[in-house]
Amino acid sequence: MKNKKKFLSLGLVGVMTAAALAGCGSSSSSSQTAASDAAAAGSTQSAESQGSGEKVSLSFGIWDENQRGAMQQMVDAYEKENPNVSIEIQLTPYKGSEYWTKLEAAATGGTAPDVFWINVLHLDSYEQGGILADLTDKIASSDIKDSFPEALLNNYVRDGKNYAVPKDFDTNALWYNKDLFDQAGVAYPTDDMSYDDLVALCKELKDKLPDGVYPFACPVDFQTWYYQTIYANGGYILNEDKTATGYDLPETQEGIQCWIDLINDGYSPSANTLSETGADAMFEGQQIAMNFAGSYMLPEYAANEQIKDKIDCVEIPTFNGVEDNVINGLGYAVYAGSKNLDAAEDFAIWLGSQEAQDIQGKTGVVISARTDCQKDFAEANTQYNVAAYTNHADIAYPLPVCLNAAELYDTEATWITKAYTGEMSLKDACASLKQEADALLTQ
Amino acid sequence: MATDRRVAKEGAPSVRRGVTRRTKMNWVFSYCMIAPLCIGLAVFYLWPFVQNLWFSFNDVTKFNISTFCGLDNYRKLFGDKEVWKALSNTLKYVVVTVPLGMCFSILLAALLNMKIRGKSFYRVLYFLPSITMSAAVAMVWKWIFNEQMGILNSALKAMGMSGHNWLTDNRTALFCIMIVGMWMTIGYNMIILLAGMQGISKTYYEAASMDGAGVWARFFHVTLPLLTPTIFFVMITSIISGFQVFDAVYMMIGKTNPAFDDTQTIVMLFYEQAFDYGHKGYAAAISVLLFAIILVLTIVQFSLQKKWVNYDE
Repeated sequence: MKNKKKFLSLGLVGVMTAAALAGCGSSSSSSQTAASDAAAAGSTQSAESQGSGEKVSLSFGIWDENQRGAMQQMVDAYEKENPNVSIEIQLTPYKGSEYWTKLEAAATGGTAPDVFWINVLHLDSYEQGGILADLTDKIASSDIKDSFPEALLNNYVRDGKNYAVPKDFDTNALWYNKDLFDQAGVAYPTDDMSYDDLVALCKELKDKLPDGVYPFACPVDFQTWYYQTIYANGGYILNEDKTATGYDLPETQEGIQCWIDLINDGYSPSANTLSETGADAMFEGQQIAMNFAGSYMLPEYAANEQIKDKIDCVEIPTFNGVEDNVINGLGYAVYAGSKNLDAAEDFAIWLGSQEAQDIQGKTGVVISARTDCQKDFAEANTQYNVAAYTNHADIAYPLPVCLNAAELYDTEATWITKAYTGEMSLKDACASLKQEADALLTQ
Repeated sequence: MATDRRVAKEGAPSVRRGVTRRTKMNWVFSYCMIAPLCIGLAVFYLWPFVQNLWFSFNDVTKFNISTFCGLDNYRKLFGDKEVWKALSNTLKYVVVTVPLGMCFSILLAALLNMKIRGKSFYRVLYFLPSITMSAAVAMVWKWIFNEQMGILNSALKAMGMSGHNWLTDNRTALFCIMIVGMWMTIGYNMIILLAGMQGISKTYYEAASMDGAGVWARFFHVTLPLLTPTIFFVMITSIISGFQVFDAVYMMIGKTNPAFDDTQTIVMLFYEQAFDYGHKGYAAAISVLLFAIILVLTIVQFSLQKKWVNYDE
């Protein structure tokens, strides 16, 4: 009995020590941040008092490991031109919304990076939270206004004020596995296909592909699959003033049903399978012959030894004769609470310059947003027909956004999944979805 | 009593004078020793707890912009179908994993308490999952259960059976989570129970043997009754951690998984509301509900322990 008590108390002591140690860990790291803050504050003060000769240090928040190299090259170039500025890149993974959780906590505590990546999905909440610096004046006095597609620039405008400099954009394309097409003896897809051509191609492939290999994949994915067809079909997700959703419209439902049909016809793995393994993983595992993929997937495909020499891409098929694609992208935002606000804004503006956007584009990892740098992406990836991504980018549909966008997309995915798996009809799912989503908009 | 106190009062100055420098130093030293722990607990447990309680009465959005809203969060909570669904999923998880997990750990502890060859090796083997990062464990199990490339389905197919979509079928997904959850915790419980068993004096077993008790009789009439304090401890901690299940579900079930609704636990819901959607006030109310449930259950268990836990000695 004594032994047992001893063991228990020892265990408790162990647990508590661990907790205390964890506590010490976080407290020491936070004191470090405080110290570096103080240092930063000190340098600002001296910068202000003694002019631009003093050292200014900035932090730069990003989330993509694939792009760290490009960002570092840009930072190096900027530091060379501005010897008094030193910039530290802070990378936090996007996965599981880690980036946003950390950024939100940092912004609340006053220690957010001075310049950071932001996407359209999060712009509204960060703007309303007063986290984003107003870049209107600096953008107006630069060449940014005339050098970027208007739609991309306007993505980051709220109430006539600019809150970010466009960084890059992503669109979608149809990828195919040439090996599987050759084995089946079927002609490759082309840039000028329509949705009906895609279905015909699936039909032709179906019996000629090896066992367990599907012609195509239709996961429950809004940005890369069904938003394109919804918009091309004249449907919508959010109405003009963002007070109601359009899930009840037959046009919207047709744009979703066309993908469910492909699953029901056996041209795509089931929604269950795709939710577990993922269309990209199955395409890379050569279990599907064709797949839709955003331009951000290209670096991963191109690095995969198994498939990189067997694949190519073409434009997304038209729907009802309409070129359809969804465009989304990132921007560089400046933290309104930055201790070096002026230097941070200057850096953000420079990130939109031709020099910076060219450095980024030439790495071939993303499509630079600046009009004259968009071609860099194709030039850096000559092995594929990547013009498929940029050919119609000017008429691609932007993602619908609102204050509760993250919650809206999740609610949508939950209900649409029920239609994809056949648990309920799309009409019923959309009716429930509209009710829930409209309630979200009034919050 | 009263006289005692008066005596103490009168005697107090002399007592204080009687405290030696050495005793005083001892006190200071002792307080210094417990200070890091107490400060750590206060800053990282108590203060967040109080703040959380306060959050639950406020409408807290992103960036901690909060407005007082009284009981609104709780009113919403009780009318929210998602909360009840998550609660019932969590309850199912606890009801299955706690008794089953306890039985397995007691059995394993009893087996590894016997004189068998290589028992240290097996003890290490069974304890390994407890010191492995739970996210890594969940990832491995996710691939074991995978419909397309999972080893489980491959094995079934090799035996002539057909595979199954274990993690996306809402009838099997929660059971898969339960298996992973038990696999992760059995080793830890086993070690504690093993320590409890080794604390049982050999004389009991000798006496029982002399009275003609066999292996089973000794297990049921000596080991189990004398192990009840340890079993009680393991039960309390298992139930608490069962209600807080999160990592396995979070890693193995995605948002677009058709079984998401039937596997979402109460802590998952809390995480989603707080960090994905930024409804921190509402999330705080969910966590307070969870706290209340665990508190009540623990109190009930403590009051029931007199009926079955043996603290002789």
